[in-house]
Amino acid sequence: MQNASSSLAVCDLAKSYGSVQAVDFVSFEIAPGEIFGLLGPNGAGKTTLLECTVGLREPDAGTIEIGGIDARKNPGAVKAKIGAVLQSTALQDAMTPREALRLFGAFHARPVAPERLIERFGLGEKADARFETLSGGQRQRLALALAFVNDPALLFLDEPTSGLDPQVRRELHGAIRQFRAEGRSVLLTTHYIEEAHALCDRMAILHRGRIVASGAPEELIARSPSHTRLIVRAARPLDCAALAALPGIFSAVENGGAVTLQTRDTGPAIIELARHLEAGGNELLDLQVKKTSLEDVFIELTGETCA
Amino acid sequence: MKGLAAHLLMTLRLNFRARQAVVYGYLVPVFFLVAFGSVFRSSVPPLLHEMGQLITITILGGACFGMPTAMVSERERGVWRRYRLLPGSTAGLVVSAMVARYLIVLLAVVMQFALAWCLYRTPPPAHPLGELVAFSAACFAFLGMGLMIAMLAGAVPAVQALGQAIFLPMIMIGGVGVPLRALPVWARHVAGFLPGRYAVEALDASYLPGGPGLAGSFFALMALAVIGIAACVAGSRMFRWDAGQKLPRSAMPWIALALAAWAGVGLVADRTGRLALPLDAKAHEGPISNIIAPSTAGNSSEPWRNVTPAEIAAVNFDQLPPDSGVVAPIADNLDDLPADSKERVAKIAALLDHWPPGQVPDIVQRVRNLLSAAAVFDVLEDPDEGAVARVILDDIRRQAPDDELKRILTYIIDHPDSGAVLTRAQALGAQGQITEGAARERMEMYAAKLLERVLGKVHDSGNP
Repeated sequence: MQNASSSLAVCDLAKSYGSVQAVDFVSFEIAPGEIFGLLGPNGAGKTTLLECTVGLREPDAGTIEIGGIDARKNPGAVKAKIGAVLQSTALQDAMTPREALRLFGAFHARPVAPERLIERFGLGEKADARFETLSGGQRQRLALALAFVNDPALLFLDEPTSGLDPQVRRELHGAIRQFRAEGRSVLLTTHYIEEAHALCDRMAILHRGRIVASGAPEELIARSPSHTRLIVRAARPLDCAALAALPGIFSAVENGGAVTLQTRDTGPAIIELARHLEAGGNELLDLQVKKTSLEDVFIELTGETCA
Repeated sequence: MKGLAAHLLMTLRLNFRARQAVVYGYLVPVFFLVAFGSVFRSSVPPLLHEMGQLITITILGGACFGMPTAMVSERERGVWRRYRLLPGSTAGLVVSAMVARYLIVLLAVVMQFALAWCLYRTPPPAHPLGELVAFSAACFAFLGMGLMIAMLAGAVPAVQALGQAIFLPMIMIGGVGVPLRALPVWARHVAGFLPGRYAVEALDASYLPGGPGLAGSFFALMALAVIGIAACVAGSRMFRWDAGQKLPRSAMPWIALALAAWAGVGLVADRTGRLALPLDAKAHEGPISNIIAPSTAGNSSEPWRNVTPAEIAAVNFDQLPPDSGVVAPIADNLDDLPADSKERVAKIAALLDHWPPGQVPDIVQRVRNLLSAAAVFDVLEDPDEGAVARVILDDIRRQAPDDELKRILTYIIDHPDSGAVLTRAQALGAQGQITEGAARERMEMYAAKLLERVLGKVHDSGNP
């Protein structure tokens, strides 16, 4: 059942290319003022899903509602309400940012003034420069400005920080958080786990066209069956069987001179470990505590590493 | 509409900012104008009969290279992906791109008219509105083909290859680069299946002084409309907005539809006899003074009778070009001609019996008129120039006994600037007009070649 107040509601969306099921009956919703992430390895179907949602591709099945409008029946009405930053879109070399904003704004009933967008996205110095002279970061800021020409309530960002340096990436993260602060909804696809964790209120992990998990990042971690890992180095060799038998410790595996222990209760496990070493007259040289991360969850669900 | 207007203006602005587009869109047409002006200098005024061809080349360049290059380049950069996100249909943007190209080509054509007038005093179109309609029809047909090229080409280099595949046949055997009158019969038939021929025909009809205008180019305009509609439908059905999109399998029937339009137009033209060169005994040439260059040293008495045998013997035949060459050719006989040419030449031979310039009382002027008619066919590179010369020389031999003809021809050779010469022979089917200088030069050559025959120095194999 779709929530009437959703910014975006996708239900049972499917799209195949020949024998390849790129999107396999996917459903999700985005609430107003929410950043929703689609996380997945390359080829998971993120871009196809996003392109179906914004009307670039015709899905084989499913429904898409944007602001209560059936996007498949009224694509024109929906396009007037959304903004999108797609992967690998450039402009003509000789076009300037100001001209581009004016041109794309002319297709909308109430466009935002180009000057406001130029100021907001820090394009003042390059407003009248040819597109070919813009840096990667400036091009991406122009892409965001173009997505804003119609003051959209819902933004689609397809891997917006891909290939950008860390400084520019941080700037864009700030801009995306600002969208949320203004009450806009954002659908963000990314293969950067840290980015998804840092930005998204909720996310879905997509694998081979299917959503294999969804929720807030902390919920996904909490739901994970993975345990906190204690990586121990001692002065003398450790007995893995004895360590695995300690209260609160589930397993002990030796790996390159260190032993990795898995536990759910980190504090009591460390106390038991210390007692065990003291009783055996062994000396603790190094102890690292590694909590379950989103990356662990991702690898666990997809069997693949991300960026 | 506001968005499409903004897109149209932006496309025009970007075109003029791109150096390559300006070179191809405006400097190349100037190059063609000057090249044609250098090659076709014998017409009066120069380029009068070549402007239709020149404009067609300009339209072809803009429509089959300029527009698809811009569209494919934008598609490769993802611009059309971005356009797809805009409210409104993509078709509107395609139409806007085509209208922009129409205006870009129109400016290039206006520039060509102005330059032709400045450089050669070539007049502007006789029927400006008709010329605009003909230009629009040709643009529509070629822009449709350009849209198809843009959809078939996966990348910019492929545009060049596909464009050349259309451009070169039309230039070489389609009546666009090499004039139809200079093409062999088989090529004239092939040209009927290529759109360029109809563009030239429609443009010439409204351009040439005394031309029939729109009324006389109805078939050509309809042919361009049919070809354009088929190409636009095919191009829109194959439309690709993303560089990653492959050409769908369903594209083949649409390509076949576009080519079927070419074939259909050609077949109808062939069945209705439109592929033969015009030959109209009633062709209007105006008063005879319009087609005969005035004499510079006229003499109404019969001084040719005073030509002596010594003067006849002094005529030098050493520098005459061979009969089988391209200058002043004479067909050895008419038996080897293709059927179409044989029929045409027979009609010309029949027309000579009633052709006014061939009936004037002054025998010297009559022979000059006939010889210069052969010169007109020669200079205009008519495909049947040698055969026409053959029938004209045969006709002259029937005008007077050999003894008189020797003296008449010697007199004409010794007085190359006397009397008057024809600079056109439209009633006999010669398409175009030549300069007086060219007419006198070739007339003298034909006079010498005929004198060789009358003196028995040269014998033809087939005909009397």
